[in-house]
Amino acid sequence: MPPLLELQKAMRRSILLGDRNNVSAMLSPGISPGRLDIYRNTFLMTLTRALRLCFPAVAKLVGDEFFEGAAQIFVGEHPPRAALLDQYGGKFADFLGCFEPAESAPYLGDVARLEWAVNTALHAADAERLDPAQLTGVNVEDQGRICLMPEPSISLLHLVYPADLIWNAVLSGESAALGEIDLSSGPVEVLVERRTTGVAVDRLPRKPWRFLAMLCAGRPIEAAIGAEQDFDVPTALAEHLSAGRFVGFYLVPTIHEEPI
Amino acid sequence: MLPPSINDASSIPAQAGIGLRFQHHQVVIDTRPAIAWMEVHTENYMGGGTPVRCLEAIRRETPISLHGVGLSLGSAEGIDPAHLERIRKVAERIEPGLMSEHIAWNVVGGDYLADLLPLPMTEEALDVVCRHVDQTQTFLKRQILVENPSTYVSFGNSVIPEWEFMSAVARRTGCAILCDVNNICVSAHNHGWDASAYIAALPVGTIGEIHLAGYSIRTFADGSTLRIDDHGSNVSEEVWTLYRQAIARFGAVPTLIEWDNDIPPLDILLDEARHATQIIESVNGTSEHAAAA
Repeated sequence: MPPLLELQKAMRRSILLGDRNNVSAMLSPGISPGRLDIYRNTFLMTLTRALRLCFPAVAKLVGDEFFEGAAQIFVGEHPPRAALLDQYGGKFADFLGCFEPAESAPYLGDVARLEWAVNTALHAADAERLDPAQLTGVNVEDQGRICLMPEPSISLLHLVYPADLIWNAVLSGESAALGEIDLSSGPVEVLVERRTTGVAVDRLPRKPWRFLAMLCAGRPIEAAIGAEQDFDVPTALAEHLSAGRFVGFYLVPTIHEEPI
Repeated sequence: MLPPSINDASSIPAQAGIGLRFQHHQVVIDTRPAIAWMEVHTENYMGGGTPVRCLEAIRRETPISLHGVGLSLGSAEGIDPAHLERIRKVAERIEPGLMSEHIAWNVVGGDYLADLLPLPMTEEALDVVCRHVDQTQTFLKRQILVENPSTYVSFGNSVIPEWEFMSAVARRTGCAILCDVNNICVSAHNHGWDASAYIAALPVGTIGEIHLAGYSIRTFADGSTLRIDDHGSNVSEEVWTLYRQAIARFGAVPTLIEWDNDIPPLDILLDEARHATQIIESVNGTSEHAAAA
């Protein structure tokens, strides 16, 4: 292995795992290996701060000490895979869901999932909305193949717990409201998106949510419309288009050929 | 190889600027302080939404420099083309006067270690850095600046003094040097170098920018001390003294006040910038007194 790569792997070991044996042997004579702790501490501190910025409600719910303990284990196991800390923490919700010390707060994973969606919306790329007039230009025979491209800030969440209410109560400091939340009220469907006024978190009724989720997942418009019967689908579609929830479209190759 | 001139610097004047952080976006937009230029961390503007819209608004009135922390020019395994492309996109949107990165590394095995980590000063590391500076300048179609790091450890296989390493990168790639005077002050203390000799050894004509910041001191159980480059306080007297020496040697160079932790009100940063401007003017004989003579 080239010496530089060997050194960088040894340094990673000391930063992620606190095992500085290999890299200590590479230091100049007289340099105390204790100095390596500065790099590990900076790494843990920087990423814990990034997680706290992204998950403020989770941090408030569990308290500083618990949050820091959980974050330090998480960052060692899941270091960032890109030099982009705004987008760090996508696996934190799943981590919390399986984190034994958090078992007594089973809703924590859902709150983290919601906060991740809010963070994603905050930092999503800017994109120009689709002009619905472009859709009318598609040949009639091709209209069944139109798929829409969702605006990059959109997340559609299915939450087992009323995490949106918990999130709201925690961040607005309403501890009385927090105490009144019924954790067994059943699953909720939520739309998170960035509007010109900021990030919005809204509940949607199940069927309209499923319709939007199908469109965002790249299901052809006609197929998505056909799958939903019990509400005013064309109006919903028009509203999504005029709200700028789509930024483009494409045609999927024909799937259903006539049998020969 | 690119020409040794500081490409595109025309919009960043040889005066003092400040590091722009999110906390100050609104006050800068509202009060439009008289400041020659500002610098931001490239990685903070790789998404969309409010931050980048604020920066675009500020950019309409004030030249901006992009300072990257995540390209990892010293990575043995190569630099991430996706990150390079993200940098290019920010540059396309902001049209910066200068673009800079660090003589450091922070990616190995695809893991981003969220710090500016020290390189061994070896021929191998020099080749790696030069290859990546070349790749970056070719991709961005412009000259970049590379900053000397602050370091807390050194490696047994190092054979090149850091100032020679910096000079060699500039000579071989045509990049400019971002001389961080605070980093020189910090590293000189931590490794027992002579900070003044470091500045005297850097090649005149390749210094495209200077950074100034504050450091903190950590004391160990054995009484030894380490200076930590934490950008969390005023520029120290020692750094101001070294800065005078740097300006006397390099001439008037765009100079940045960096402050990243315990960020103070904007006025404090503007005061520090005024101090730097006074030094540029007095050392270069363009003070009111000299101009009148």
